[in-house]
Amino acid sequence: MDRIEDLLDRPKAYYNIDGVGEMAGGFMCLGFGLLMWLQAHAPRDSAWHGMPVFIIYVGLMCLILHYGPRAIKKHITYPRTGFVQYRARDARWRPAILAAAVAAAVTVGLGIALRRHWNLTTPAALFGLLAAASYAYAFAKTVRWKWVVACVVALGSVVIAMLPPDLVGALADGSWQGAFILIMVLYGAALLVSGGISFWLYLRHTKAPAQEAQ
Amino acid sequence: MNPQIRTIADLDRVIHEPGRLMLVALLFAVDRSDFLYLQHETGMNKGTLSSHLSRLEEAGYVEVSKTYRGKVPQTLLRLTAAGRKAFEQYRRNLKEAL
Repeated sequence: MDRIEDLLDRPKAYYNIDGVGEMAGGFMCLGFGLLMWLQAHAPRDSAWHGMPVFIIYVGLMCLILHYGPRAIKKHITYPRTGFVQYRARDARWRPAILAAAVAAAVTVGLGIALRRHWNLTTPAALFGLLAAASYAYAFAKTVRWKWVVACVVALGSVVIAMLPPDLVGALADGSWQGAFILIMVLYGAALLVSGGISFWLYLRHTKAPAQEAQ
Repeated sequence: MNPQIRTIADLDRVIHEPGRLMLVALLFAVDRSDFLYLQHETGMNKGTLSSHLSRLEEAGYVEVSKTYRGKVPQTLLRLTAAGRKAFEQYRRNLKEAL
């Protein structure tokens, strides 16, 4: 019976067989990390603090995140190991609702912390630990070597929490964003490297079958 | 007859065959997939896979459609409503039997 349940989970794991899911996540984290760094270093009256630039930046990221993985799937993954169309319920609603809830909670939390001038190094590190746990749940449980990446993210988050506040603050012009930028860069880089290795292994171990009827 | 033994006797034989069980379980989790994906996931050769899919199509559990990916013919497979219902019933019966 457990084997049947495993089989039911296989199509979900197939989405990241080429590492594209991880690379997209890494791109997103690095993109937001860069945006936070730019906002922290730009003058107060800079366009980087304005809503239009924010919307354009996030919009461009969304476009790349939407069409980039689709292009890789269409031209590389589907011809090699087959095409899968996920059920609409699984593909859209659950992750979208979860992501929206997490984003709303983080935004509200950051807003409150910013108003009260709290030191956010520890919450940022906890966010990093949460990211490590979610990585382990989403990716490492199916591929063993990815536990190393999950451990690197978790350890990195603890190290960031222990860094001197001056050092972390200097990264973001003395503002609260320093720790979050470090966590975003750490998690984004880990995802990008891990996804890149998965992609390389996928290309190495698969090849498109002869051009005949499938 | 003992109810537990009856449950075993009631298992859908079309689905119960291991090869077809793999295929139905994989198709149950997605909206549709192509022949190549099923071949990659199950490790079956083309002949065996075609044979199992034909049996499932005959039973009305799988819908087969032919299309093209660029210039390459592609066979798309989807579990029908009857197939989904039969697989859910099969899982229930198997749980009871175990």
